[in-house]
Amino acid sequence: MVPAINAGSGPERPNLHGSRNTVPTMSSRPSERNEHRKPQVPKSLAGGNAQDQYIKGLEREFKFKHLGVLGVLGWILFLHIVGIFFFTKGFLLTRMVLENKSSCEVLPFGDASSVGKKVDGCWHQKSFDKAIVIIIDALRYDFAVPFAPTAETDAAQLFHDNLPVLYETAVNSPENAFLLPFIADPPTTTLQRLKGLTTGTLPTFIDAGSNFAGTAIDEDNLVAQLRASGKNLVQLGDDTWHALFPDYFDPELTRPFDSFNVWDLHTVDNGVTGNLFPLLHPENSTKWDVIFGHYLGVDHAGHRYGPNHQAMAAKLKEMDRIIRDLIARLDDKTLLVVMGDHGMDSKGDHGGESHDEVEAALWMYSKKGIFGRTSPETAMPPMLARDRFVPQIDLVPTLSLLLGMPIPFNNLGSPIEEAFIGPNGNDWKNLMTVNRLTAAQIKRYQHEYAATRGADDDLESESMELWQAAECSWQKLSKIGRSSQANLRSVSESYKEYQRHTLQVCRGLWAKFDVPSMLQGVAVLFAGIVLLVFYARSANMGRADLTSPLLTLVGAGSAVGVAVGASLSLAGMVEMGVAAASTLMAAVGSIIGASWSIFVTSGILSVPLPRSLWGWLAVIFTVTQSIGFASNSYTIWEDEILLFFLSTFGVLAGVSSMRQKSTADRVLGVYHSILFVILGRLASFSRLCREEQMPFCRSTYYASATSSTSAPWQIAIPFLVALILPTVVRSFYAGSKSYEGAATLWIGMGFRLGLFITSVFWVLEGADDGEWLPLRKETLKSVRVFLAQLVLALAFAAGTTAFIYSKPCISINVSQGNAEPEGKGKSSAPAQPAGRTTVTILGFGNVHGTRYFLLVVNFCLGIILMQKPMGQGAIGLLLWQILSLLEILDTNALVLGNSAIGPVVLGLLGSFYYFKTGHQATLSSIQWETAFIPLSSVQYPWSPIFVILNSFGAQILTAIAVPLTVLWKRPLQLNDQSSSTSKSGNPSIKLLTDVVQAACTYILYFATINLATTMWAGHLRRHLMLFRIFSPRFMMGATVLGVVDVVLIVFSVAGVRWSTLSVGDIFGW
Amino acid sequence: MASPPPSPLTSPLATSAPDLPKSAPPVPILPSQLARIYSFLHPAALLSVYAARFPALVADPVSEMAQQLPILAVAHVVYAMICLPPAGSDVSLSAPTSPAATASGSATATGTATPTGNVILRPGKVGRRRTRDSAAGGASAWGAKVAPALLSLTLTTLLATPTLAILLILFGAPFTTHHVQTLLCAAHMAILSSTGLIYVHGVDGPVWKEVWGCKRPGDAVWGGALGTAVGAWLGAVPIPLDWDRPWQAYPITLLTGAYLGFVGGTMLGRSVLFGKRVRFDEGEESRNKVD
Repeated sequence: MVPAINAGSGPERPNLHGSRNTVPTMSSRPSERNEHRKPQVPKSLAGGNAQDQYIKGLEREFKFKHLGVLGVLGWILFLHIVGIFFFTKGFLLTRMVLENKSSCEVLPFGDASSVGKKVDGCWHQKSFDKAIVIIIDALRYDFAVPFAPTAETDAAQLFHDNLPVLYETAVNSPENAFLLPFIADPPTTTLQRLKGLTTGTLPTFIDAGSNFAGTAIDEDNLVAQLRASGKNLVQLGDDTWHALFPDYFDPELTRPFDSFNVWDLHTVDNGVTGNLFPLLHPENSTKWDVIFGHYLGVDHAGHRYGPNHQAMAAKLKEMDRIIRDLIARLDDKTLLVVMGDHGMDSKGDHGGESHDEVEAALWMYSKKGIFGRTSPETAMPPMLARDRFVPQIDLVPTLSLLLGMPIPFNNLGSPIEEAFIGPNGNDWKNLMTVNRLTAAQIKRYQHEYAATRGADDDLESESMELWQAAECSWQKLSKIGRSSQANLRSVSESYKEYQRHTLQVCRGLWAKFDVPSMLQGVAVLFAGIVLLVFYARSANMGRADLTSPLLTLVGAGSAVGVAVGASLSLAGMVEMGVAAASTLMAAVGSIIGASWSIFVTSGILSVPLPRSLWGWLAVIFTVTQSIGFASNSYTIWEDEILLFFLSTFGVLAGVSSMRQKSTADRVLGVYHSILFVILGRLASFSRLCREEQMPFCRSTYYASATSSTSAPWQIAIPFLVALILPTVVRSFYAGSKSYEGAATLWIGMGFRLGLFITSVFWVLEGADDGEWLPLRKETLKSVRVFLAQLVLALAFAAGTTAFIYSKPCISINVSQGNAEPEGKGKSSAPAQPAGRTTVTILGFGNVHGTRYFLLVVNFCLGIILMQKPMGQGAIGLLLWQILSLLEILDTNALVLGNSAIGPVVLGLLGSFYYFKTGHQATLSSIQWETAFIPLSSVQYPWSPIFVILNSFGAQILTAIAVPLTVLWKRPLQLNDQSSSTSKSGNPSIKLLTDVVQAACTYILYFATINLATTMWAGHLRRHLMLFRIFSPRFMMGATVLGVVDVVLIVFSVAGVRWSTLSVGDIFGW
Repeated sequence: MASPPPSPLTSPLATSAPDLPKSAPPVPILPSQLARIYSFLHPAALLSVYAARFPALVADPVSEMAQQLPILAVAHVVYAMICLPPAGSDVSLSAPTSPAATASGSATATGTATPTGNVILRPGKVGRRRTRDSAAGGASAWGAKVAPALLSLTLTTLLATPTLAILLILFGAPFTTHHVQTLLCAAHMAILSSTGLIYVHGVDGPVWKEVWGCKRPGDAVWGGALGTAVGAWLGAVPIPLDWDRPWQAYPITLLTGAYLGFVGGTMLGRSVLFGKRVRFDEGEESRNKVD
């Protein structure tokens, strides 16, 4: 670079270019034109105390400002955590799942008084031995009652009056049958409804039980109770039952059918009917006790055609026939229940909470004639569901008591009076008894829930008064002995009042979103984004210089906030705990402090609008994607949309490259743009489809769509990666003659070795699955775990050490005398006058970038280890695309342009490869088993970290690569000592500023996505796809944001410190 | 510091023209009465036919696209031959029109000109005389048009269609299925975008370099080409939506976007955006000047 001893300023410049001429792209850099300063002497060759002092000063300044910058990023992380926490607190309502089971022997009263009386049945005299429960999916109440025009103009629609049997029987023989509107608790999806119909409790998003990942019900429920009492259960139809109740049903007689093909109206129904009627034959009557038949035809007709269609009429007529046949073949001991699990809206869809969706029908029938009506007004089934109805959970205690079962522990429903009042409508004693039983069980549950959750008076106080009042009047009654109907009725009703009140309280607790808390969270997140936009994107923002006033004000603001929040909470002015209130106020205080610092004191504010096509492109990518998350379709197809955006970027990069003046820039730029697009498309072949993408998607991530193991041919992918990837990285290093020093050892040897060991690991894994090797499973496993730990040690222990202590990837040649041939022979120095010392530095053009990139290599190795073979190929392509992107940025002069496009495209790449490593925005796509790659048992905190490395590997890798968007081929700017009096001359501070800007821009992308998914999830909290699509995407967005923040603080921006120090050690400051 | 948000897409030709002395000027529609009328007739006819055949397209995209392809090709070549100057003729044509073009470009930039009227008329006076001169041998004039027309058809088929098909696949079109759809869609897009360009510019290296760099000044031909691309890009937007409409099937929306984009681009290119260039960077011109 520079002759050291007699360093002249002018004539040596060509020499500098001589070593750089392998990077011709440099010549078009605007900054370089201004670089007519006296270049700094390599430190090792320099002398002089004053200079040392000065350099130390610069180094200290860099270190200090670097710490400050980390502080700012930490504050941004704090804002994100607070915002997400408050939103989540109001949004993800959780209900604890109590695993207590009711048992036949223990009555719910808790006192021994009522035990002893022997009844035929568990807690109450049973009425039936057997039952047939028919669920007609989406049987809306108005399908079952005669058409009653509410206005003159009303005309009967096609779905009306096709299923008269329910109404006829209920009217003609009220002692045999009753028909009632049956109101579902939203969400009105079959799975959630079946949970409610069997457990008697309310749905929430997270039932925080032991079984988080699976769908099986682990609460006490009717099916489990029946099974426990030795009944033989048969299930026919919808296979959702088997996800909820695995192994509960008689394997011989049960016939599950796939429930997702909504275009098929008949397969399931014919299957149910065909298998149901043989069971009713007298000779089969001993083979079963309870049949659950689940018809899907009505639901599918609704989804496919809507209710007002000939197909629906035909389907309802078919149901009518089936029910009539069932009635004809029913014996005395058997109860027949027909119900809808939910209704359907005018288009025939469901999931939400509109009237049409929640109003199902319930009809019970028996030949015994034990049903009754409590009053003449209720003799007829109501014409409109709003007139008089029962909640769906009421089925649970009713059916339990009719069949002589204990009421499931978690039940909140009440017994349906028509079933217990007796044919004459006056058996108030019976009704009171069942009401008392149910109320006692609810009280027991309430007590247990409060005890498990910790003191929560909400559930207790008022409803306890109701309970006590009811108990008092009951005791009075039992003292009197015989009592009048009126007294019995009032006691029965006071128990029922208690039940309903508790239900209301629980509904309030579990089914109501805490909107103020959600808004607080969104507000904090939004403010964080606004501040970040100004901090990261405002022009001329002296980010490094702003650090200390910003942090001071943020600190002061939070301190004031904590004090205010705590005192408000203690004074009882806000309904929040001290911790929550002080946290929220701390966030608010810090936002105010930061706003003051950024908007008022800095005084260098400019509107952060993009000033180039690239800037606009970055905004368009981020904003359109964010808007798209309001639609379930764009959320489902996010992977394809990301590919579309990435290809758009690649094509525009190619176009932009064509505009470059220098031929080398043009050729390299176009080449890398084409490469970028092709690599992205190549990676897109690795797919794991989510259910909603079917049938337009084919999974390739695993051997087949129904397996979660790799195909044998996929085991070749890790070997290919080990073979190709280090060579690829090497070629990018070699492009700037930087494949020197630590790079040769680390990339050529360490990286390749690690990748090779990873490949061997997956061969052993495959051998284990396929039993190819004559080794014991334990041996294989311990070898595998050892290999994986070796790779991790290589990547993170050895890798980090290497990263911290290694020298920059350059080779310095000092040649004395006249034009001696260069040691490396790669670039010959121009002829020098004899007697001068020539210093040739290879790899000078990319000294910052190649030095920092070692960290990316470390993480790439660690992340690749945690992926399945297909994902390893994807991560390999990701690394290649990152390098290609960096070259595109360089050839299009975007490295020093502070353009937002680099970090944003990295963000897009991170999101894109999340999907390409076998993930989807669903909980079920988490690859839990990867926690066992380097460990044989669950160990905290390592296992969760490994799952995070697997899940968010792509985002982590791109986060690590973010500083490279301003470091790659960044010209080495050295401090001009002649102007050392002015403080602004420290180029490492400029570098730091640029790095922070890139990091903040990257955060901004994910923060915007997070805010969008958060707001949409909150806004669409009653959307029918909330649980399947919006909530999981919100959870993913929030987790990714947290992970990305932490990685940027702890590794990326922190890593810049070591790489810059290392460069500074050689070249000075 | 607060600078008003500049539109990054356009800048008046006047500022950048001096930097690029060698670049071919924007191409106006031929000045003849027939060309003027037909240049409006053609896009209108294109859209009406497309709208009329849309139900058939939705019902059976492949056969409908295949049937329409030759008609579109012929219609487009006829449009080019009637309305556009053929390649090689630009020495005689573009030289006199370029000052007018520059004038109209700056006129639009100052916002005084109405979209089409006088922009077309002024070069027309100059040009009409010229065409009358060269129209002395009518057969040779048409002969001069046939060769570029054939060339443009050949190159559109052989180069533009495969290139666009590959681009469609790179943007996420199915790789293993729907090959016929992709190819036909690419062929339609190629005819819309490339026929005019090749007819007007032939295989002029500098012009095509400008095309690849999106640096052409706005005119009917370049506007149509860029509009086709942008339209098809936007056409992908409705595909993922779960409306279950038959027209959401690939590639119907892309094709619709391409047609709309072509017409919109052509109209904008010859009027308000005439002579303006796509700009990537605010500092681009200044940097170019320094270099």
